Amino acid sequence: MSDLDSAVEQLRQCRPIPESQVREICFKAREILIEEANVQIVDAPVTICGDIHGQFHDLMELFRVGGDCPDTNYLFMGDFVDRGFYSLESFLLLLCLKVRYPDRITLIRGNHESRQITTVYGFYDECIRKYGSANVWRYCCDVFDYLALGALVIGAGSSVQPTRLADGEDAETKVREAEDEVEIEVIGLGGVVTRQMSRRDAGMINSTNLTPSALPHLSSSGPAGALLTGVPGTGASGNSRGIGNANTPTNTGGAVLCVHGGLSPLIDSVDKIRLLDRKQEVPHDGAMCDLLWSDPEEIDGWGLSPRGAGFLFGADIVKQFNHLNNLTLIARAHQLVMEGFKEMFDSSIVTVWSAPNYCYRCGNVAAILELGEDNSNAVLRSGGEEVLFNRENTRRLASTYMGGSMKRGGPGRRYRVFEAAAQDSRGMPSKKPMPYYFL
Amino acid sequence: MAIPTRFATPSMAAPPSGAEKDRTVQQTDMDALVSRCSAVQTGYLTDPYAEMFLDISTPRDRRYPLINRGTYIRTTALDQIVESFLSRPFQGKKQIISLGAGSDTRFFRLAADKSLRLLYHEFDFPQVTSRKIAAIQRHKELATIISEYGQADSPEDSTGLPGFQVDARAGSLRSPCYYIHPIDLRTLKPGVPLPTGIDASLPTLFISECCLIYLSPNDADDIFRWITSSFGQASESSPNGAGIVLYEPIGGDDSFGKVMIRNLSQRGIVLRTLQRYSTLERQKERMRALGFNSGMGACDVNFIHDEWIDAEEKERIDKLELLDEREEWVLLAKHYCIAWGWVERHPASASASAGSLSFQNWSRFPIQRT
Repeated sequence: MSDLDSAVEQLRQCRPIPESQVREICFKAREILIEEANVQIVDAPVTICGDIHGQFHDLMELFRVGGDCPDTNYLFMGDFVDRGFYSLESFLLLLCLKVRYPDRITLIRGNHESRQITTVYGFYDECIRKYGSANVWRYCCDVFDYLALGALVIGAGSSVQPTRLADGEDAETKVREAEDEVEIEVIGLGGVVTRQMSRRDAGMINSTNLTPSALPHLSSSGPAGALLTGVPGTGASGNSRGIGNANTPTNTGGAVLCVHGGLSPLIDSVDKIRLLDRKQEVPHDGAMCDLLWSDPEEIDGWGLSPRGAGFLFGADIVKQFNHLNNLTLIARAHQLVMEGFKEMFDSSIVTVWSAPNYCYRCGNVAAILELGEDNSNAVLRSGGEEVLFNRENTRRLASTYMGGSMKRGGPGRRYRVFEAAAQDSRGMPSKKPMPYYFL
Repeated sequence: MAIPTRFATPSMAAPPSGAEKDRTVQQTDMDALVSRCSAVQTGYLTDPYAEMFLDISTPRDRRYPLINRGTYIRTTALDQIVESFLSRPFQGKKQIISLGAGSDTRFFRLAADKSLRLLYHEFDFPQVTSRKIAAIQRHKELATIISEYGQADSPEDSTGLPGFQVDARAGSLRSPCYYIHPIDLRTLKPGVPLPTGIDASLPTLFISECCLIYLSPNDADDIFRWITSSFGQASESSPNGAGIVLYEPIGGDDSFGKVMIRNLSQRGIVLRTLQRYSTLERQKERMRALGFNSGMGACDVNFIHDEWIDAEEKERIDKLELLDEREEWVLLAKHYCIAWGWVERHPASASASAGSLSFQNWSRFPIQRT
């Protein structure tokens, strides 16, 4: 077993690795990250994850629900550290996986991957506590400076293969099988399909009917085993009932931009992100800061952020940005969502939140987003036109189908919702996390 | 006053004894004090006295920004309520009684204004009052404030410093204007006589900052009844009345609330009246039903943050720290409330006017619609 594999093993048990090894891994990670673009290109299928915040045991739960790396291709949208009690183990595990399987895991930077923020929100103190010096914190911060600012997922399928329902089960909106493709599937707690929506279904996914209490199978464990074994994303659109039929609304499932926070008034194209000099501490303002700090909000245009950094941006901004850049969706993290995920602005943007019971206090569930792959060499027919769908012509394809029309056309998406790991599971260290309250 | 024997368990059995439970509740005061010092150090609050009550051994943790902000809002909201009671319209002498005062510094902050005519009392467990008195004896600045404030009101006492008497063994302190009473709040019931120095003829404000919530619902209700039966009776000669302001958690029914109850119970802290008074509506009804029926109100801390703090001040606190906890802040702040109620009657005499009432301005606070 290599040193790297043994480090992964040790970290999987939530045990810190020696300082010298941290240094070595951070050095190797930096060599990999320095080659990455500001906006990394990632091929579907991919599983997109939001904030982790040092909740190590919940990260393990995420891998259990979403599949292990490298079996599943992962994209983490930042905020690995701070708040939770195991920022160090969580970040180093992800970093080791990055070094070990660079093409199977993508890490982009969150606003907490910063020297200033980690000194306020816990990661700095945790490093001092665990190593007695700030060296490890410094190594990690040096890595933060090289993390990509965003990622562009290409080749995502327009539908997900519906998870088969077990006998006697019924999702809230069951897809009329063989008639329609599944655009959105939600797998709730216990691995139970709670919702399937076809592209034809009017309206958009509404987080209010997805609250844990509204999930019909909240407490039942359900036939989780059977349902969880499906390899995420594979053959998402292989069932081609819809494809090839000119009457079915065809969708390219074009590019999905992933970024931690959101948009910036200084950035009107993905190419402008590519021009930034990212290898620095997160600045207090400017485009790089905005990408990591901004939030979507029900406003017109831009607004001031109550966070003191970044901006608020409305539906018009998102729709225009997506249109100009041939994006079908923006996936971002950064904001706690009690239901784990929340689509906004006619499904043009989604918040994915992956820290269940955030800060051991908030009582929320978490989610990950799976985007399936399209048949990379499948011939799409629409009105007699034949287009080869692959990585190179994503752009052309997107403009062909999206051009001018603003119809909703997000990729097929499967959300897997999960809860916090049981506190005493997996030999968790005896120290119980104790969140603050006002007393 | 000793812990009542009915709370003690004779065996060494696993469940915590009454005394242990009481100690856990008493420790919440240290927790609040450390939070207070953190908010002072970060610039949210100005309070030179808070840190004097901190034991040397207590770690001076810096709290997260949302906890600092919560400490700030709680203090500021109570300050506004107290200020409104003290200032207008009635200008005469007034009385404040702080229930479970712990290491609260409000008296020392108010006493900076020597023109204020105020009688101030604090009730708490003797273990807590002893610690507070020791801090007062350790810090000359605190002792001086008590002495000088006492002289202002009773110049005839000015000959003998320190101007206050301490019974260290019992944990009591008395001066002309400031009393610390070692009292177990569970003993306060209708018919129980007033502790020494309390003047039931003065307009009186009671404060409970995260205190009554730890009592059984019946004990907590009895304190309300004790207050409204002993104070707030109108007389011919003097305007008076009684009011109470509470700061405490609400809303244990949702997932955040359930996690809060579970987390605190792991520390041995039980929010005993939470279920009975879990909403703003129930808090107001509590005031009405237990005798504070001239007027009442309740707001959650999130509302107070949004509506009670003026724009300039909000801008100031927004600049102190980056608050990367917006959603969490709203969630947390909606689970704490300030509730207040008062009872006062127009004096029968014709010469008295509405201008003689002490609590009238409380009806001017922005009210949250529920």
